[in-house]
Amino acid sequence: MENIIDVQNLKKEFKSYSSRQGLKGAFRDLFTRNYTIKTAVDDISFSIKKGEMVGYIGENGAGKSTSIKMLTGILTPTDGKIVVNGMNPHKEREKFVKTIGVVFGQRSQLWWDIAVQESFRLLKKIYNVSDQQYEEHMNDVIETLDIGPLLDKPVRKLSLGQRMRCELAAALIHNPSLLFLDEPTIGLDVLVKLKIREFLKKINKKYGTTILLTTHDLSDIEALCERVVMLDEGKIIYDGPLKELRENWAEGKQIQFQFSEKATIEELQSLTKEHLVVWEKGASDLVWVASVDSDETVISGVIGKVTAAKKIADLKILEISTEEIIRNIYVEGAVRHG
Amino acid sequence: MGKYIEMIRIRFLMMLAYRTNYYSGILIYSINIGAYYFLWNAIYGGKENIQGLSITQMTTYLAVAWMARAFYFNNIDREIAMEIKEGKVAVEMVRPYPYLNMKMMQGLGEGIFRILFFSVPGMVIVTLVFPVDLSAHAATWLFFFLSLILSFIINTQINLLAGIATFFLFNNDGLIRAKRVVIDLFSGLILPISFYPMWAQNIMSYLPFQGISYIPSMIFTEGFKGNEILQALTTQAVWSLILILPIYVLWTIAKRQLVVQGG
Amino acid sequence: MRDYVSVFFQYAGQYLKTRFTYRADMVVEIFSDFLFQAVNLVFILVVFGHTSLLAGWSKDEMIFIYGFFLVPFSIFSSFFNIWDFTDRYIVKGELDRILTRPVHSLFQIVLERMELESLFGVGTGLIVMFYAGGDLGLDINWYDPFIFILLVLGGALVYAGIFISLATIGFWSDSKTDIMPMMYNIGNYGRYPVNIYNNIIKYVLTWILPFAFVGVYPASYFLGRENWYVFAFLTPVVGLVFFMIAVVLWNIGVTKYRGAGN
Repeated sequence: MENIIDVQNLKKEFKSYSSRQGLKGAFRDLFTRNYTIKTAVDDISFSIKKGEMVGYIGENGAGKSTSIKMLTGILTPTDGKIVVNGMNPHKEREKFVKTIGVVFGQRSQLWWDIAVQESFRLLKKIYNVSDQQYEEHMNDVIETLDIGPLLDKPVRKLSLGQRMRCELAAALIHNPSLLFLDEPTIGLDVLVKLKIREFLKKINKKYGTTILLTTHDLSDIEALCERVVMLDEGKIIYDGPLKELRENWAEGKQIQFQFSEKATIEELQSLTKEHLVVWEKGASDLVWVASVDSDETVISGVIGKVTAAKKIADLKILEISTEEIIRNIYVEGAVRHG
Repeated sequence: MGKYIEMIRIRFLMMLAYRTNYYSGILIYSINIGAYYFLWNAIYGGKENIQGLSITQMTTYLAVAWMARAFYFNNIDREIAMEIKEGKVAVEMVRPYPYLNMKMMQGLGEGIFRILFFSVPGMVIVTLVFPVDLSAHAATWLFFFLSLILSFIINTQINLLAGIATFFLFNNDGLIRAKRVVIDLFSGLILPISFYPMWAQNIMSYLPFQGISYIPSMIFTEGFKGNEILQALTTQAVWSLILILPIYVLWTIAKRQLVVQGG
Repeated sequence: MRDYVSVFFQYAGQYLKTRFTYRADMVVEIFSDFLFQAVNLVFILVVFGHTSLLAGWSKDEMIFIYGFFLVPFSIFSSFFNIWDFTDRYIVKGELDRILTRPVHSLFQIVLERMELESLFGVGTGLIVMFYAGGDLGLDINWYDPFIFILLVLGGALVYAGIFISLATIGFWSDSKTDIMPMMYNIGNYGRYPVNIYNNIIKYVLTWILPFAFVGVYPASYFLGRENWYVFAFLTPVVGLVFFMIAVVLWNIGVTKYRGAGN
C-alpha cells in the first residue's frame, strides 16, 4: 500500500541564546551573546501507510512535538525530506493542510467567545467545504461524539471533555485522510477518553483515516495503535508493532502465589528445581512471587509442581505493563530494534 | 525592604536581556525628539519666545520631557490587566508581599534601567545634535530629580488604577488606551501646559496629570523660578497622597470580588 | 480569491456578533479612538493659537491634512492590528494553529485581529476634511473621489507594510520589544509638512519609513500644492512596494518560525 507519510533523514536544529550570570554578565550580553545549537530532531526516517494508526511516544523534549510540527507544515526542517500526502508540508502549506486534520490537546482550534457551531461554520468556509459534504459527514461525527447539545454553547462555557470532543469534530470538518493528534486525551476523565478512542477507531475503519497520535497515556496507544514509534533525544529508538515491543522488552512474567500455610524458600526452590525460577517473598510469609520466562511450559510446569505440593488460596499471573516496559527502555537507554 | 530591592534588580536584569529593544529604543527616542525639534522650530518661525519660553528652552523642555518619560513610563497597567484576565492575580495575592507594591517596584526597576541606559546616552546624543541647554544649577538638578520621583509615583498610581479597573470591565484595552492619550496631552508632554488657552489651563490645574511631565520639565528648563518650584513640588506631593485613596478603595472592592468569584 | 472574500465576510459577521455581546467595551473603544483623534486636533489648534503659518501652511491646511490622514490610518487600524503579534502569536504559540489552516497566515491574522469599530475614524476624517476644505474653499472635481480612494488605499498600504515588516522581527527574535508603540509616534510626523524637517528626517519619512505618504503628500494633491503632485501620485506605488516587501519578509519569516516552548 502507498505511503501517506514518508520521512527521510529529518533533522531540526534550534539556536538558543544563553545569558550570562549577574548584572555584569547581562551587561556584556548587550554587546555579544553566547548561543548554542540544540538538535531537537536528529536524523530520523520512517514511513506510515494509509489507514495505519501509529502511536508516537517519547519523554518530554524527546522531539515528538517538533517532528509533528514539521509533519504538519508548521516548522521548516533544518535538513531532510518529508513527503506527506504526496506534498512537501511546508512548501505547499495551504494546499497541504486541506488534506490533514490537527488536534493539539493544549491549544484550542475553536473561537473562545462564539458558539461551537459558529466555529464550525467558520472552519467550513476556511476549508471550503460544500454544504452537501458537510451535512453528509459532520452529522455522523456530531452524533458519534455526542456533541449535538453543545453546538449552541460558546466554547468558554464548555468543560474540558466537552471541548475536546468539539475540537476533534472541528479537525474533521473537511474529512481529512490524515489526522494528527497531539495529546488529545490530556486531563480528560476515563469515560471521555473511552468515547474518543471509540470514535477514532470508527473513523479509521469507516474512512480509512490514517492517524498519528502522541500521548502520555499509554493506555490510549494500547487501545488504538498496532504500531509505535518511540523517540529519545531526537532519535527513533524503536519503530515496530506494539506487540513485539512488549515481547522483546517484557522479560518474562511473574506468578504470585498466596499459600494457605507457611512456605519457605528452600521448599519452593526444591519444588521447581527443573525450571529457571527466581523466588521472592511477597507481602507476608504466605505470599511468594516466582519470576519466570514467558514460556508456556515453564509457566504451567511451575504452577503444576507448586499446586500439587501445597495448598493455595490465590494465584495471579502478572504481566509487566507497557508503561513499565517503556520506563525500562528509557532507564536502560538502550537502542534495540524489534 | 530587601525583597523590593531584589524585585527592582530582577526587572533591571530583564530589561537588560532585551537588546533589540534597547538599541531601537535609543534610536526611536532620538528620532522623536528630533522630529519635535523641527516641528517646534517651524512653529516658532523666527519668534523670540512664546509664552515666556525661548526656542532653546523649548527644545530643552522637549528633550527633558521625553527623557523623563523614559523614567516614569511603564506598562504595569497592561501587565495587571493581563494578570487579572489570566487569573494570575489570585496566585500573586498569596505571596507574602502586597501585590500593588510589587508592581510599583517592578515599574521602578524598569524606570531606573531606562533612565540610566536610555536617557543618559540619549541625552548625550541629543545635546550634541540640537541646541539643548543643560547648564543648570545644582539646585535645579536636585529639584528636578525630586520632581521626577514624584512624577513616577503619580504616573504609576494612575497606571495602577487603570489596571485594577480590569476587575470591573470585561475588556480594559480601550480604557488603558484612552488613559495613555489623556496623559500625553494633559501632562504637558507634547505641549507645555502654558501654551493652552487660559480656560484649559484652569481645568488642568485641578488634574493630577500636570505633575507627570509639565512640572519636572519646567523645573529643569527654569521656566519655574523660586517660589513656583516649591509650589509645583507641593502640588505633586499632594496628588501622590490623594491618589492613594481611590487605589485603596478600588483595590479593596476588587479583592472582595476576587474572593467571591475565585479569580 | 473569491474564497478569501467569502472567508472575510464570514469572519466579519462573527466579529460583529461577538462585538455586540460586549457592547460596553465597544463603546469604550470607540470613545478612546475619538479621544485619540481629538488629541491631535487639539495640538494643531493650540499651536495655531501662537502662530498663523507653519512653514507656509495655514491652520486649515494642517487640519485638512490631519483629516485626510485619519482615513487611511483608520483603515489600517481596523485590519492590521498586529502591534502585539510577537506576544500573541509567537510567544504563546498561537501561530501553530494558524499554520494548520489552508489560508495565508497573514490574512488569517488580519481576520482574527480586525477591529471594525476603528472604521468610525474614516467618518471623523471625512468630517474634518470637509470642514477644513470648506473653510479653504476647495473645489471637488468629478474624478476627485476616485483619486481620493486610490490615495487612501496607498496610504493604508504604507502603514500596513511598515507594521507588518516590524512584526516579522518576531519570527527571528521572540524577545519583547517596544518598537511597535514607538513607531506609532513616528507615524504622526508624516502628518506635518515635511519641509519643516531637515533633510535626514525628510528622507526617512519619504523613503525609509514613508509615513509622509499617509498624510502630507497625498493631501497636498487636494490642497492644490502642485509642486508636490509627483509625491502625491507616488502614494499608491510606494504603498504597493512597501506592502509587497512586507509580504515577502513575512513569507520568509514563517519558515523561520520556531514554535512555542523552545
